[in-house]
Amino acid sequence: MTETNPAEPKRAVVATTVPTGALTPRLTSEQAADLAARSGLRQSGSRPPLRLYIRSVWSRRSFVWNLSASKAYTKNQGSYLGQAWNILRPTLDASVYVIIFGFLLGARDGIENVVSFITVGTFAYSFIQKMIMSGVGSIPANVMLVRSHRFPRAVVPLSAILTEAVLFAPALLVMAVISLLAGAPLRWTWLLLPVASLILVAFGSGVGMLFARLGARTPDIANIVPFFLSLGRWGAGVMFNPMKFIDPDGPWAPLVQYNPFTVFINLFRSCIGNEPSAQMSLGLWGLALGWAAVALVVGFVFFWRAEETYGRD
Amino acid sequence: MTDEIDYEVDIEDLPAKPSRGQVGAPSVVVDNAHVTYRVFGGRKGGTVDSKPSVMSRALNLGRPATGPIRQVKAVRGVSFVAHHGESVGIIGTNGSGKSTLLRAVAGLLPLTDGRVYTASEPALLGVNAALMPKLTGERNITVGGLALGLSASEVASRTAAVAEFAELGDFLYLPMNAYSSGMASRLRFAISTIVTPDILMIDEALSTGDASFRRKSTARIEAIRDNAGTVFFVSHSLASVRAMCTRALWIDRGVLVMDGDVDEVCDAYHLYVQGRKNASSGARL
Repeated sequence: MTETNPAEPKRAVVATTVPTGALTPRLTSEQAADLAARSGLRQSGSRPPLRLYIRSVWSRRSFVWNLSASKAYTKNQGSYLGQAWNILRPTLDASVYVIIFGFLLGARDGIENVVSFITVGTFAYSFIQKMIMSGVGSIPANVMLVRSHRFPRAVVPLSAILTEAVLFAPALLVMAVISLLAGAPLRWTWLLLPVASLILVAFGSGVGMLFARLGARTPDIANIVPFFLSLGRWGAGVMFNPMKFIDPDGPWAPLVQYNPFTVFINLFRSCIGNEPSAQMSLGLWGLALGWAAVALVVGFVFFWRAEETYGRD
Repeated sequence: MTDEIDYEVDIEDLPAKPSRGQVGAPSVVVDNAHVTYRVFGGRKGGTVDSKPSVMSRALNLGRPATGPIRQVKAVRGVSFVAHHGESVGIIGTNGSGKSTLLRAVAGLLPLTDGRVYTASEPALLGVNAALMPKLTGERNITVGGLALGLSASEVASRTAAVAEFAELGDFLYLPMNAYSSGMASRLRFAISTIVTPDILMIDEALSTGDASFRRKSTARIEAIRDNAGTVFFVSHSLASVRAMCTRALWIDRGVLVMDGDVDEVCDAYHLYVQGRKNASSGARL
């Protein structure tokens, strides 16, 4: 038992000084740990083992769902058109690219249905983009929630990503309608769109959680990520077929063909249209599933490893 | 963080003194807790940061004394042991680190150094609980209840009671940003008292709403306190700390300066505050 108070501050001169030495004797760290162990106390704020953590996230699924539904509801509030902007914004985006790439520049080499090709690309990519960006900002945006309640922190990025998924559902419908109007043939493969969306949400959750940890500690990430996302937009061929511009045997070809952005956009295209660059194939679905699994595992574990630090400034 | 709080407490609103004596086994052990905040774009100030080394001064020669990141040491090496059946008041001047310490012990604010051991998950009852202003009161009750760890069906069965306690009336179905500040704080109080935890932490929650609601909320806190094992209570009001607690911790600039019987510590703190008041009024002459 030592009677020390090491961090005694230097005080400004006041009439009555703060008393010292009125403390009960301090325990050393070992004594404190021993006392805690004898009384059956657990260390708080420590990271639970991965298995337990997954179970506690799963038991909070109704919280995740409620938080996402609430957030989705408040998005776009405060404008006259409200939730309609959810559909209008990507539609306007898509029309810009259709006008410029499809008609002005005429970059329609190897594209069967230009309007459908660009619309599906834009809608799918903007969904990926939103999931990642909402992951980056999820912890800073919910810091008050994190600081006032105890729950597995993975709830926060997961609900942010699920919010985007909820908002994507009507956009998916609009995407299908536009493609139909543009003359894409209605086939049974259209029924696979929700499945493709689910795989994409799994991928987005993983990447979103990865970036959530980075964004929680380093808010600067929020400024860097858009740069990579716009690189992805052009590299993944959201509005043109990049394979027409690069050497198919060159060193860049696999990167352009098999990066997750291209894979997921092509997955959507393979469901909707009959694009030569995005044919429905088992390999494509396997690739998408692979990317989703890798992202989910890596993102979740990476996020969990900093569990005890979220909420700290 | 602590807006819309009225520190005045009427004597008749104070809760009944808890009975003393039956102190049980340890429920919270805090060992050398440190909490450091990072502040982006802060200015170098008196209480902030340490003296720069010769090296960093040489590197920063000619640059203004501002930096992108400052560190604020809010809690510096606090240790104590609290037991079952104890009500512990935490007192100190503004910015002394009381609320930070409470949040750290509750496991909400990660410690920079040190350890906290608890018997169960502590619950923080605060009037600052995070509610979403764009959502209706009803939706906020759902989200708040789920955040507290209730299941969806438990929340659904308690929503009506919470709304009634908060005296919202038809405002329950309007978004929170249409509420008066009193309504909002009543709702926050009602939501955060949905559950009765074993370790209860109260952050200035006594001073919520108007006189009649205050009486109601005091009665509720008393009921929770009687069921909870250990209570921590942060307040500026010495009268409520004396009334609520059996033991007091006095925090000054992040350091625990006194720990003991509530009356003893409150008397010493009162003397200190009186002295500071006299000093500042003397300086103005």
